[in-house]
Amino acid sequence: MTYQERMKALRAKKIADTKAKMTQQGYMDADDYGTVPLPEGYHFEPTKKDGGIFGPAACIENYERFMENHPIYVDPLEILAGRWRDRFDKYREDFPWPDYFSYDHLKPLQELYDTNPGIAKWAHFAADYSIGMRLGWGGLLQKVRRYRALNRDPEKEVFYDAEERTVLAIQGFIARHIPEIERLLASETRPEIQATLRDMLEANKNIIDKPPATFLEACQWMAWFATVSRMYNRDGAGCQLDVMLLPYYERDKKAGILDDEKAKFIIANLLLVDTHYYQLSGPDVEGNDMTSPLSYLILEAGRMLDASCNLTVRWHENMDEAFFRKAVETIFQDRRGWPRFSGDLGLMNYTKNKGITKEIARSRYAVGCHWMSVPGREYSLNDTIKINVAKLFMVAFDEMMTGGGEKSMDELTRLIRKHMEIAVDTIAKGLLFHMEHQHKIFPELVMNLMMQGTIERGENISQCAELFTFGIDGAGLGTVADSMAAIEARVVDEKKLTFDELNAWLQNDFEGVMGERIRLMLASSPRYCGGNTLGDKWAKWLSVTWADVIKSYPMPEPAQIIPGWFSWSRTIQFGQTVGATPNGRHRGAPITHGANPTPGFRKDGAVTAMATGIAAIQPGYGDPAPLQLEFDPRLSAEEGGIDRVAEVIKTHFRMGGTLININVLDKEVLMEAHRDPMSHPDLVVRVTGFTAYFCALSPEFRQLVIDRFIDGM
Amino acid sequence: MSLSATITDIQRFSVHDGPGIRTTVFVKGCNMHCTWCHNPETLSFEPQTFFYPDLCIGCGLCDEGCYAGAKVDCGKEMTLEEVLAVILEDKPYYGQEGGVTLSGGEPTCRPEFSGALLAACKREGIGTAIETNMSTPWKNILESVRHADLVMCDLKDADEERHLRLTGARIEIIRENIRRVSSELGKPVLLRTPIIPGVNADVETISQIAAFAATLPTLVAYELLPYHPLGVDKARALGTEAIRYEKPSLDLIHTLASAAGKQVNRVRVAGIKR
Repeated sequence: MTYQERMKALRAKKIADTKAKMTQQGYMDADDYGTVPLPEGYHFEPTKKDGGIFGPAACIENYERFMENHPIYVDPLEILAGRWRDRFDKYREDFPWPDYFSYDHLKPLQELYDTNPGIAKWAHFAADYSIGMRLGWGGLLQKVRRYRALNRDPEKEVFYDAEERTVLAIQGFIARHIPEIERLLASETRPEIQATLRDMLEANKNIIDKPPATFLEACQWMAWFATVSRMYNRDGAGCQLDVMLLPYYERDKKAGILDDEKAKFIIANLLLVDTHYYQLSGPDVEGNDMTSPLSYLILEAGRMLDASCNLTVRWHENMDEAFFRKAVETIFQDRRGWPRFSGDLGLMNYTKNKGITKEIARSRYAVGCHWMSVPGREYSLNDTIKINVAKLFMVAFDEMMTGGGEKSMDELTRLIRKHMEIAVDTIAKGLLFHMEHQHKIFPELVMNLMMQGTIERGENISQCAELFTFGIDGAGLGTVADSMAAIEARVVDEKKLTFDELNAWLQNDFEGVMGERIRLMLASSPRYCGGNTLGDKWAKWLSVTWADVIKSYPMPEPAQIIPGWFSWSRTIQFGQTVGATPNGRHRGAPITHGANPTPGFRKDGAVTAMATGIAAIQPGYGDPAPLQLEFDPRLSAEEGGIDRVAEVIKTHFRMGGTLININVLDKEVLMEAHRDPMSHPDLVVRVTGFTAYFCALSPEFRQLVIDRFIDGM
Repeated sequence: MSLSATITDIQRFSVHDGPGIRTTVFVKGCNMHCTWCHNPETLSFEPQTFFYPDLCIGCGLCDEGCYAGAKVDCGKEMTLEEVLAVILEDKPYYGQEGGVTLSGGEPTCRPEFSGALLAACKREGIGTAIETNMSTPWKNILESVRHADLVMCDLKDADEERHLRLTGARIEIIRENIRRVSSELGKPVLLRTPIIPGVNADVETISQIAAFAATLPTLVAYELLPYHPLGVDKARALGTEAIRYEKPSLDLIHTLASAAGKQVNRVRVAGIKR
């Protein structure tokens, strides 16, 4: 079998696995990950105390048993071993925080503003792969033991003990795969499969202890880290993949032990093992382009895999134009929702935060759903901290309507700011609470190994990171901006209805024919992303106020908070807590997605209007407000089609945009898949920041993608 | 006093009306009445109303404005400055290739406005193109196209009588205007023919038009535009009727494109790479 044929067979298996996973788990409104189904009879029973699994000792005791119990996975068609199927943190989900550290005093306000406070959350920052790849598992073990001996502090013993056992558990897990590889090799008759099984065997024997020495070993090492880190707590942060692997690639090529076809297959296998987020290209600290032949090869490997994939290309003015064009073409040719693009100019606004140098900002790679983090140095909890701004807006609106005071835009804006300040204060207090206790509850036993200062000090990363830059995302920007525009247009300017009448219609959720007329009238007000509309004006006001409230909050050092706009896949849940809104949105309907406008924002759905509107509301501190675009594949078939898309991407980034997710979907295929999901089991879409199989999404999520897509047509 | 025109629509990120990313301005009103027109709402010079009864919610307040999309106004008087302001919103995206396309209706029916708008765009450094039927008097054409970087125009038929009957305009005037725009003004010309089965979709007709295209010294390309019955529903919503022609098959389009290719280089099919 050729590498291409093998990858085709593996892709078919992946599709079959997705079907099996759906049978096991139901709909999966999250990243596809790349897991394989659990075998019949698999069972893990954690040991719990005080109702949960708390603290380093309990975590390692359970993680050790979890790893020993977890099924191994070797597919002879692959060249890399291992795959995760179950997650340890899943067994903590039902009771993630003990009662003895109570934050009940924060809960009323957290619930009032429908926040995701970040308390008890894990991962969502970036490990520094270079630490692990330089030392190998054996080196990491020695490092833990060395610092354990140096820091003979009884309080730190439990930490070091847990970290040491973590490495041993990982090594043990990898070691369990060796006999399986040998067994498969012994029974394999196809010479080309025997050859790669031998490669797999040798690589795995080497890297159980030693640092990776070859390209294959480096990829296998990364695959293991991706696997065991996911298994611990779903960490999905990758690295700058083309830079990280380049020395191994060049060395092996020079030594004549690697050719591009094999390298491509190995990378495709790495991308198959897990959908970790990796960045490609972009500028180095001096602004020089980092694109290399390996950057091209990684794109080609992704195409060879031809499934969900989370690669981000960081665009900058000095970028290799041919590589950028190839990346744009890939979106249209493969139609799998990748790569994504991030914009260097907007991301460099990260330097506006305290203590952030150009060097730090440049090394803040795209390694998450919509987020970036500095490998090894930053504890960010990105994507776990959100405020439902649509809910907050309605709290402010309700206060205005029931407070007996003035009813005006001025009063409404004053109250929105007031509630933003309360909500941010609540979030900030929660984060400080988290920082105080998290190491005692759920330490980052796997990621700590590849962070700076953790092992050296004997502390969890939540205690000792160089940078504590917590991203707070607002959700529902478009819903609120359109609501304010509708109020100004229909109530204040045109006087079509009074504030009280509007409130009455909101309370009864636009009941009856006249309610529907009012709803449609409000919904047809000048919307956000319409192009210099009232909606655009209020979106800007909202984002400026959001950034100002967050950045002026007196967060005790070393912590900082940073504004962003993102909903992740929570638009449906967030919407369920919000009553009818003045933009004509029904009670309980989803709020707007990320920084995107309400579907139907313009009759022509002009992507330029959306790209300009979203560039204008960037909060300006380096955390993203992503632009989600949907394109018709026919665009690429037209003369100059790719150039047009490339121009939109570049212009959005020149305007300060931070991240662009693009779907290219055939309308007929999408509609058919919506009616009968299993008619297109291989249809991959980018849902928010992540890619997923369309058939695995719940009907609500499929509708979300459909609504956005119809707008982009 | 500022120049103004009735505008049917302004479409941003327009990808079918010239190269690059464009903003297309549709001027309302046309001197021709092609039976296959896919934009029948642009024929009348007066504002009109679309009516989509399926969308009516029965609120009974039609006179106070319809928000349900059942009654949609078509055509709005806009000043040149207002139109320019919309065009400028996408200026950062136009790059070297893109820009504005002035379309219709028939923009040369409003020569003063059309000429002034394209001149204003040029002053702003924006690329300009015009889509015209070339059937108005030369002075109208001259004033409208003088600031256009690209002239996109139709030659819809080779048969004089049929052309007059189905469009209301004389081919010879159109041919002459196209010749002059190309040879006297030296404007790049993209010549196009809508392919209407039962009217002009035969090898002989297309070959004749293609042969004419080959005589133009500034021809950018000769482009075939497959008919689409988009205008039929729109005509119905305006309370009129339009003929529904057959959509040409891909095979037919390829046959015609091959025939055209024997007469002239650079034959394209509705922007599709060949």
